[in-house]
Amino acid sequence: MNKPFLLILFLVALSPRVVADKHDATQIVRDAIDHWRGLSSYTEMTMVIHRPDWERSMTMRAWTKGQDQSLVRVTEPKKDRGNGTLIDDDSMWTFSPKINRVIKVPSSMMGQSWMGSDFSNKDITRADDIIDQYDHTILSREEVDDITVYEIQSIPHEDAAVVWGREVLKIRDDHVVLEHAFYDQDGELVKKLVSLEIADMGGRTIAKRQRMVKTEDPDEWTEIGVNDVEYEIDLKDSLFTLSNLRNPRNN
Amino acid sequence: MRMLPVLSRLAWRYLWRNHRRTIIMVGAIAVGAWAMIFMTALTRGMVDQMIRDGISVLPGHVQAHNPEFLDDPSVSNRIAMGDEELAGKFDAMDFRAWASRVRVPAVITSERESRGVTLLGVDPEAEEEFSFVSYEDVEGRFLETPDDKGVVIGRKLADKLDTEVGKRIVIMSQDPDNEIADRGFRVVGLFKANMAAFEESYVFVGKKTAQKMLRIGDTTTEIVFVGDDYRNVDPTYQRVSEAVAGKLKVSRWYEVDTYLGTMMKVMDGFVLIWVIVIFLALSFGLVNTLVMAVFERIREIGLMLALGMKPSSILGQIIIESMFLLAIGLGLGDILAFASVKPLESGIDISVVAEGMEMWGASSMLYPKLYWSDMVLANVVVLILGFLASLSPAWRASRYEPVEAITKVG
Amino acid sequence: MNIVLRLAWRNIWRQRRRTWLTTGAMVFSNTLLVFMISLQFGMYGLMIDNTLKVFSGHMQIQVPGYKDDQKIRQAVPNVVPLASGLRQQFRTDTIAARGWAFGLASSAERSYGIGIFGVEPTFEPEVSSIPGLIKEGRYLEDSDATDIVIGSVLARNLRVGIGDELTLLGSGRDGSFAAAVVNVVGIFESGVVDIDRNIAQLPLGLFQEVFYMEGAGHQVVINAANLDEATLLEPQIIEALPAGEDLVVHDWDALQPGLKQAIQADMSSAFFMYGILVILVAFSVLNTQLMSVLERTHEFGIVMSLGLKPGRLGRLVMLETAMMGMLGLILGAIAGALFTSWFMVNGLSIPGMEEMSAKFNLPPRVYPQVNIWSTLIGPVVVFLFTLLAAVYPALRLHRLHPVEAMRAN
Repeated sequence: MNKPFLLILFLVALSPRVVADKHDATQIVRDAIDHWRGLSSYTEMTMVIHRPDWERSMTMRAWTKGQDQSLVRVTEPKKDRGNGTLIDDDSMWTFSPKINRVIKVPSSMMGQSWMGSDFSNKDITRADDIIDQYDHTILSREEVDDITVYEIQSIPHEDAAVVWGREVLKIRDDHVVLEHAFYDQDGELVKKLVSLEIADMGGRTIAKRQRMVKTEDPDEWTEIGVNDVEYEIDLKDSLFTLSNLRNPRNN
Repeated sequence: MRMLPVLSRLAWRYLWRNHRRTIIMVGAIAVGAWAMIFMTALTRGMVDQMIRDGISVLPGHVQAHNPEFLDDPSVSNRIAMGDEELAGKFDAMDFRAWASRVRVPAVITSERESRGVTLLGVDPEAEEEFSFVSYEDVEGRFLETPDDKGVVIGRKLADKLDTEVGKRIVIMSQDPDNEIADRGFRVVGLFKANMAAFEESYVFVGKKTAQKMLRIGDTTTEIVFVGDDYRNVDPTYQRVSEAVAGKLKVSRWYEVDTYLGTMMKVMDGFVLIWVIVIFLALSFGLVNTLVMAVFERIREIGLMLALGMKPSSILGQIIIESMFLLAIGLGLGDILAFASVKPLESGIDISVVAEGMEMWGASSMLYPKLYWSDMVLANVVVLILGFLASLSPAWRASRYEPVEAITKVG
Repeated sequence: MNIVLRLAWRNIWRQRRRTWLTTGAMVFSNTLLVFMISLQFGMYGLMIDNTLKVFSGHMQIQVPGYKDDQKIRQAVPNVVPLASGLRQQFRTDTIAARGWAFGLASSAERSYGIGIFGVEPTFEPEVSSIPGLIKEGRYLEDSDATDIVIGSVLARNLRVGIGDELTLLGSGRDGSFAAAVVNVVGIFESGVVDIDRNIAQLPLGLFQEVFYMEGAGHQVVINAANLDEATLLEPQIIEALPAGEDLVVHDWDALQPGLKQAIQADMSSAFFMYGILVILVAFSVLNTQLMSVLERTHEFGIVMSLGLKPGRLGRLVMLETAMMGMLGLILGAIAGALFTSWFMVNGLSIPGMEEMSAKFNLPPRVYPQVNIWSTLIGPVVVFLFTLLAAVYPALRLHRLHPVEAMRAN
């Protein structure tokens, strides 16, 4: 046979998989986010904020619809009950019964922490940025207990409004995110979101407990635990309005 | 009056016969004149420098904004006219420099820190004339075009953010609809400024890049004009006001920074005090010198009177002598002043002097500035002063009793 | 040597007029020198005080790290008792506690991110000029009232006036939602746009409640009578800090980093100018001395022909000059000190200062500072120059021929 012909055959055989891997990476990430949010969802969760000298716990209810709409309402502790956050695409509004007003969060406050946690307002609204603003590649795949775990590296585009050098996600082929690590531009790990417990809830396998830890302050972390979740429920659009945000009695 | 040429010759010869004394007196006058001129140049330079530094941060002599902008400097209060329209208006008007820029509050974030800053979207070429950043002193590089995709921040800010040239940071602000407008930028340069506060609060990006990020088309929020003389900005103000025809608020620099404006008045007042003090020191020295000169000549004057010289002639001669001394002294003083100020106009580094003392550690550069009007004024003042100072002793001298005078023991 | 001294002294007074003229020149010049340098010192005091008086005070007690990070959790515990304890201990009212948080202020129409300060209404006016700059309404009175005072630019931007309501939103010390509705009771105008746009003040009691501070604050501001006293006070405050707490005292240089450098730079240049003045003065005194010595050539001739050696005569002349110089130095220093002291008490109003004072609530007069340094520096240099004046003619004496000298003049 002709040597060049072999070579071409060889290359042809190889290339689709390489291309497929790239597409796969982005698809894997997209699938993971869709899996977590669902088309719509209702979640009851507990957020624990831990510091070296104190700990605070809040219980919340959250509704999501599609990629862009979310409503969160605090139910415990009593002094925070009724506080709410509404997100629509990139905008965030906040409500507190103490002042009985809905206020749009301006850009100057987007960097402030959300409800005192280790997540910023921007983190909460921009969670889905990761899909389009980055280039994803599969670094490796592993088999663990019959489940394939993909390690995906996501590098932000040059102009993306992202400070990280790169992010590394470990995602299972059942779309559960095991770990989401954030590295600075020198390659140092700055913080990590880790799934501590995985369980079947609401008809899906999801991360039941997730914790965000900073590498430099391991004794400071925020943990989100899902107590109950329902997927693909019927949520009216009127749920995600400012007037509904203001009126806590409906939910 | 007929005696004038004779008296003049007498005066001249007298001066040169007592050349030692003449030299001393001329020297005193020269030093006095030099001090006055040098001091004025120095203080002028100081006030100039202070005001110029302040103006370079504003920047400019005259600024134009949307009327709401000065209270609420957000992008919703931007200038309605786009860059093309502005260029059409102002390019032809031949200002020393003018530029439109985007100035809005923003938040800059790195991996670990975030800070509130003022974002400046500029055209680097247009701003070079008046920017407080010296482009050559930038570590890395300054922006090159209005489309530049990089960001230039202050050294101190880079330290606080724990970032450096080559790394990316994110700048976040708001667009006119109050939606978040943000973007990643690569740090291409770090600048140093006199005041640490400027290094921490100002962030430079290309004007077109900023306009795109903020979704404002080709509009901007601030227009800066620089004329020739910061003390006289009214002509510039008038021309700009006419050109904008009421659509924008036009401000003179001291209206925007009232603190600096009032400070200038205080500095001027302070300079006045220095000048008065020098003046007093000089005049006293002058009077003293001339008075002494006459008293030392009592015997000689008595002799001249005894020999028949008229008292009025004595008066005349002494005054003419003084004028000669003043003229020569002033001439020398002028030359000295010129020779000492001109080369130093590029800056006196006083750290040399300050170094020796513990109290004063910081160095500073002084830039004296010689204005011809100051020099002429100093000369005129000294001449008049000298003339008046010589009147009394000359008068006294002419009134001496010859016999008494001659027999006075020196 | 004693004879020479008495001779020198008598020589001086034999020529009353000449002596007085020369000495008079020195006294006058020295007065000017003392005045100018005292004025310079007074100006620096003024510049520093003006900047510090607005808000930062001469020193502040904070927890370490707060100055750079300004995180609400970096709080000074029990800040109100701490401040009142210090007030009692040092018997002064110029100590006040504060808290600070970044938050959102909203009116019916607008919202802005601002710095919210919690202050002690009774004592804040003692440490800051802002309470004195209320343009409309009144300052805060009751530490627990739901009152707020805001800057004039912020009031305009929010479109509120006296009596209107504002909503405050932020993050409390424990991370929870901090929110409150307050009434605008006063609007201040400092003339500095950044202050007038970005600052609001609440009573400290209300602040602590809204932001869940649990009795803590972020700063204790301390003012002394002037800079010198502040330097003395600082170590005392450090000692008075409660043991076991991690607190630190920052002086004004740490709080306002650019200020010291700006002043030092200004000081060097002023010193340069002062140097010129000294040269001028010294030169004219030198001139007077030289002339008077030279005029005595005839007299020297006589004296030398009577047998006095040039060396001795030279020493005599130097001594006379030194005596006159001393006289000028002492009288000049005293006159200068007295003259300047009048201004130290009554103040000097430099043209332009009234405007400064009216617009920015700053002192309208500067008070020259008379101290040992300012009294002596200039006059001493002049004295040295005076001595120099005697050197040339003293040397010349060696070449003097008595007969020629007697023929002089």
